[in-house]
Amino acid sequence: MSMAATSHEMAAAPVPRAASLAAQVGAAERRHLWRMLALLAPSVLFTAFFFVVPLALFMFRSVDNPEVSGYLPQTAAVMQAWSGKGEPDEAAFAALAADLRAIRDTPALGLIGRRLNYALPGFRGLLTKTARRLPAADDGATKAAFLAIDEKWRDPAIWGVLHQQSGRLTSFYLLTALDLEKSPEGEIRRVAPEQRIFIDLYGRTLTVSLGVTALCLLIGYPVAAVMSRAGPRAASWMLMLVLVPFWTSLLVRSTAWVILLQNEGLVNKSLIALGLIDQPLALIFNRAGVFIAMVHVLLPYAILPIYSVMKGISGNHLRAAASLGAPPLRVFRTVYLPLTLPGLAAGGTLVFVLSVGFYVTPALVGGPGDQMIGYFIAYFTNSAVNWGLASALGALLLLVVAAIYLALGKLVGFDRLRVR
Amino acid sequence: MKTSKAILAIGLAFAGLAVQPATAQSLTVSNQGGQPGEVQRKTVFEPFTAETGIKINIDTFNQELARIRTQVETGNLVWDAISLNPINEAAGCEEGLLEKIDWSKYVDAKAFDAVGACGAPYLASPGTLVYDSDKLSGDAAPKSWADFWNVAKFPGKRALMYQPDQTVEIALMADGVAPSDVVKVLTGPGGLDRAFRKLAEIKPHVKWWKSGDESMQLLLTGEVSMGYGWLGRVNAANASNNRKLRIVWDAGYTNALIYFGVMKGSPRKDAAVRLIAYQLSAPAQARYMEQLGNPPANSDANALLSEARRAALPDPKARNGMMQAGPTYINFWLDNGDAIRQRFATFVAQ
Repeated sequence: MSMAATSHEMAAAPVPRAASLAAQVGAAERRHLWRMLALLAPSVLFTAFFFVVPLALFMFRSVDNPEVSGYLPQTAAVMQAWSGKGEPDEAAFAALAADLRAIRDTPALGLIGRRLNYALPGFRGLLTKTARRLPAADDGATKAAFLAIDEKWRDPAIWGVLHQQSGRLTSFYLLTALDLEKSPEGEIRRVAPEQRIFIDLYGRTLTVSLGVTALCLLIGYPVAAVMSRAGPRAASWMLMLVLVPFWTSLLVRSTAWVILLQNEGLVNKSLIALGLIDQPLALIFNRAGVFIAMVHVLLPYAILPIYSVMKGISGNHLRAAASLGAPPLRVFRTVYLPLTLPGLAAGGTLVFVLSVGFYVTPALVGGPGDQMIGYFIAYFTNSAVNWGLASALGALLLLVVAAIYLALGKLVGFDRLRVR
Repeated sequence: MKTSKAILAIGLAFAGLAVQPATAQSLTVSNQGGQPGEVQRKTVFEPFTAETGIKINIDTFNQELARIRTQVETGNLVWDAISLNPINEAAGCEEGLLEKIDWSKYVDAKAFDAVGACGAPYLASPGTLVYDSDKLSGDAAPKSWADFWNVAKFPGKRALMYQPDQTVEIALMADGVAPSDVVKVLTGPGGLDRAFRKLAEIKPHVKWWKSGDESMQLLLTGEVSMGYGWLGRVNAANASNNRKLRIVWDAGYTNALIYFGVMKGSPRKDAAVRLIAYQLSAPAQARYMEQLGNPPANSDANALLSEARRAALPDPKARNGMMQAGPTYINFWLDNGDAIRQRFATFVAQ
């Protein structure tokens, strides 16, 4: 900035007319800039309003914890001050009794019950039962009254949950998304073996996505190569063939695979009729089905970027290499492949990022061992209505994908990952 | 909370554009859709409109509680009345998503098995052991859930639902628990572990289905030799494909009441209650169930059914049905449902 200003003054001093010219150019550039900004504004505002803001709000839900402090304010205050060790005193029971009386017979009781039940199954029932049977007024023996309603109120796990979940923010959902939990004493530990699910799901999601990406690139590369060297008529026909499935609904394509690949489907029937197999092959409702359907759905996303890069490679490079005596394989390895690498990187990134979020296709053509993390994010969002956990799972997925993108960017250079 | 509500409101406003707004003389109801929804429109909604002049717009709802919650929390109601399974009826009622209604003012409560604090049951949906009698007959046909588990004597894959509620109940029946004792055993100590142990025996031979359509597809294409399926789906599959799927009522079955409830804050609550009460009346129930083939929720409607239809229903005196109702059962699933579903997903994937 200061450099520009100095050179501007130096230029301005000897020739006054140049100054007005520079000012005119500057003004024109500013006008141009404003025009560009005005043109960009709708898309920027749209993205901010409909993408960035909702995304940030939803991510915040993974640590947001309004329920306990909102519905059980007195208990939350007592629990915040409590050490979390031993049995809580009469004051804690009295605070909880006062809170429960205030929300008895209102939906708030159901909502706080649902929230605490996430942390400890059975908490909802205990709370409902206690609120229903609680005496109308305190007589200084609230603790005894609670224990008379249910002995579970002696359980340190119950009070551990209340103590840990009484803050305005919570690590509960993020820990759950990593198959971790806090013990009543506050130590972080793994959850019981039969409840461990999410780490496996992340592993499966990444394995399937990487497999699909590799297959898409392997199948897409030769297709793109042939397309880029075909005559204009043939190339446009081939492009059409790539694009038709691209424009077809994902649901239709996935269901079509179910019909083709099932035991009595076209593929198995033909193979049996040809005498190649006696028993139908298991092609669907397993990992094979997921790969077949996902590769089919995502193939255009790999072919198109590779094709556009290949289109720009001049045949002269290859002819030059050949005229210098390189055999075809060498031409491919040292000239063609490095030149097409940006297309491969762009197509691969696109396919990988899209497949990480897949859930409709694996749900339709996969078995129970093939469901990806997206299926559970949808489940916790729509059916279980556990939005905190859904957003924690989503946030972690975003983090994993961002980490992979950064690692890949460092490896091959960010400019190559861009889709042209 | 407030800002996210605003976001939801915007989202819903866009979603709402797709659905016709309900006017004073119309109601928007949401049911399970498909062929059963079509029968409901013809036998209940259209006669109701003819009688009262109140038009009915129909939308579909697949028991995603979030869709009710977002509408109620933002005050942007798209629906007036909705079809609910027993667990969602109880959860929605407890969390203030549904209007509390004293149904005994509108119907004879004695004729119903379990009227909810918010919703009223309008049909019973039994989940049963079903097989294709064109493929299995005589000794090759299963007679009990124990046979279903016996892969040595009855080879082939089996179809079960990819969802623990109803499936753990079936596993207990296969382990020798009488249908009437299933709730007691399941909610008692060790009941759930027992069910999972039993499921582990058959897991390698199971194809898990995720939708009612899929459950029938697996049977019709011969992908499985027998399966767990809902009565309504079996009837529809037999009627539209001219097939002979057969239900083994004697094996024991689950039986869920399906409810209709009114969305909290619906400005057309009175009309919605009127529709639901109409739907529960014995003549409407009989018309509806005669075509659908499910047991009516209103027991007075049994007498109005045709002889053939009554013969195809489970014998209520046989007491082979395990009712998915009652506070013990509902509270068990409300308290433990999330944890069990997580355990189930892990179990099935391993």
